[in-house]
Amino acid sequence: MLEVQDLYVSYGMMEVLHGVDISVQDGELISVIGPNGAGKTTLIKTIMGLVKPKSGKILYDGQDITHLPAHKRAGLGIGYVPEGRHVFGRLTVEENLTIGAYSSSDKEKLKKNIDMVYEIFPRLAERKGQLARTMSGGEQQMLAIGRALTLSPRLLLIDEVSMGLMPIMVNTCFKVIHDLNKRGITVLVVEQNANKALKVADRGYVLETGNIVLTDTAENLRGNDVVQKAYLGT
Amino acid sequence: MFLQLVINSLAIGSLYALTAMGATLIYGILGILDIANAGAYLIGAYIGYYIYISTGQLVLAFLGAMLSVGLVGVVLHRTVYGPILAKPRMLSIIPLVAAVGLFTMSSDLIRLLCGAGTKAYNFRFPVDVVRVGSVTIQTTWLLIFALTAVLLVVLWVVLNKTKMGLAWRATAEDPDIARACGVNTNSAMALSYVLGYGFAAAAGIMTGILYNSITPALGEVPSYKMLAIIVLGGLGNPLGTVVAGLLIGFAEVMLSTYTVLPIPKDAVAFVVLIIVLLIKPSGLFGQRNKV
Repeated sequence: MLEVQDLYVSYGMMEVLHGVDISVQDGELISVIGPNGAGKTTLIKTIMGLVKPKSGKILYDGQDITHLPAHKRAGLGIGYVPEGRHVFGRLTVEENLTIGAYSSSDKEKLKKNIDMVYEIFPRLAERKGQLARTMSGGEQQMLAIGRALTLSPRLLLIDEVSMGLMPIMVNTCFKVIHDLNKRGITVLVVEQNANKALKVADRGYVLETGNIVLTDTAENLRGNDVVQKAYLGT
Repeated sequence: MFLQLVINSLAIGSLYALTAMGATLIYGILGILDIANAGAYLIGAYIGYYIYISTGQLVLAFLGAMLSVGLVGVVLHRTVYGPILAKPRMLSIIPLVAAVGLFTMSSDLIRLLCGAGTKAYNFRFPVDVVRVGSVTIQTTWLLIFALTAVLLVVLWVVLNKTKMGLAWRATAEDPDIARACGVNTNSAMALSYVLGYGFAAAAGIMTGILYNSITPALGEVPSYKMLAIIVLGGLGNPLGTVVAGLLIGFAEVMLSTYTVLPIPKDAVAFVVLIIVLLIKPSGLFGQRNKV
C-alpha cells in the first residue's frame, strides 16, 4: 500500500534522512522505532507531504505521490496524527472532527464517522461544544486521533502517540490503534516507546540517525539483543 | 444631538473596522502586515466612483468595486506575497516593505490615471434626515452604519458558520495540520484577500459618499490608523478589530465634540492605542479567542 524508496530529506544544509526504504502492506500495523532525533517525525511528515524530500520516491497504492500537495494526500485516504497532538485549540471538539473530513462533501458519512469517533472515545462526545485547548493532554490526544478518522482513512500515520501522556492513557491509545487496525485500517506508527509499539505491531523498523538499521517482524525485534539493550531496557 | 453623535461614532467606528478587517484577516492567516489594504480602499473608492457616475447605480458600484478589488488582492497574493513568503529564511520586514511599496504605487497610479484633483460622488439619499421624536439623524450616517454592520455580520457568518470559514480558522491556527486535514490552505488565503480587499473597497466608497470627496491621498490616513486598530484589537482577531474600530470611532467623535483636543483628531487612535497597550500589552483580544 505504501512504498518509501531511497528517501533523502534535508533541512537546509543538514541532511536528516539518508536513503530510507520502508514498505507497508495492506492491513499491516508497522512501527518505526528509534531514539530522539533519528528522523522519525521527518519521515512521517514527508509521507504526509508537509516536508519536501530532496530525492527518493513515495508510492501510495502504486501511485507516485512524492510531489502531491498534503491536502490532496489527505483526500486519497491518508490520515495524520501529529506529534504533540496539535489539535485546533480555538475550535470546538466537533469542529476539529469536522475539519478532519474537509476533503469530503458527504455530510451523512461525516456524521456517521463522527458518531463512530464518539463511540470509540465517549469522553469526546461529552465535550462536543468545548474549545479543544481547554481539554487535558489525554483528551487532546483522543481528539487528534479522532480527527484523523473522520475522513475514513485507509492509511493512518501516527507520530509519537505516547508523548507526554500518563501510562494509563498510553495504554488506551495503543489499544485504540490496535482495534483500528483490526477494523481494516493500515497503520504506520513512529514511536520512542519501543516496548508498546512493538507489542501491537506486525513488523517493525529501527531508524537511527537517518538510516534504517534493522527490520524484522515485531516479535523477532522484541527478541533481538541489540533492540533489547537499546530500546527495551532489558 | 447625542443620538446623532452616537450614530456618527457607530458609522465611523464600523467604517474603521471594515477598513482594517482586510489587514486583520491577512495577518490572521499569513502573519504579515499588509498596508496595501489602504490601497484597496483607495482604488475601491475610485472604481466605485466611475461605475456610479457612468451608470447611476450605487449597488452596482459597490459590487463592481468589491469584486474587482478582491480579485486584485488574490492576484497580489499569488504574484507578490506568496512567492516572498515561500522563500526560506524570509525576514518578516520584507513583506511589510513590499506592502508599503504597493500602497505607494496605488496612490501614484490613481494620481496618474485619474488626476490629482478632488472628485465628488454627489450622491444624495431621497430623504436627508430621519426624525425620531425630537431628534433628527442624517440618513447618510445611518445607512452607512447599517451597511457596514451588514457586511460585518456577513463576515461573521462566513467565518463561523460555513465550511470555508472553518477552514480559514483552522489554517489561521496551524496551516500544516490544516493541510494534513485536507484543507487547501491557498484557498483559505485567497478567501482572506477576496474578503479583505473587497471590504476595504466598500469602506472606501462609503467614505467617499460620507465626505463627498475622493482624492488620491484618500488611503493615507487609513494606512496608519488601520495599524492602530488591528494592534488594538489583538492582531489577527476579527472580533477584536470590530471592537477596536468602534472604540476609536467613539473616542474621536466624542472627544472632538465635548473637549478641545490639543492634538489632531487622527492622532486620537494612537493615544487610545498607547493607553490600552500600557494596560494590556497583547491588545484588547490578545488571547486570540474564537472569532
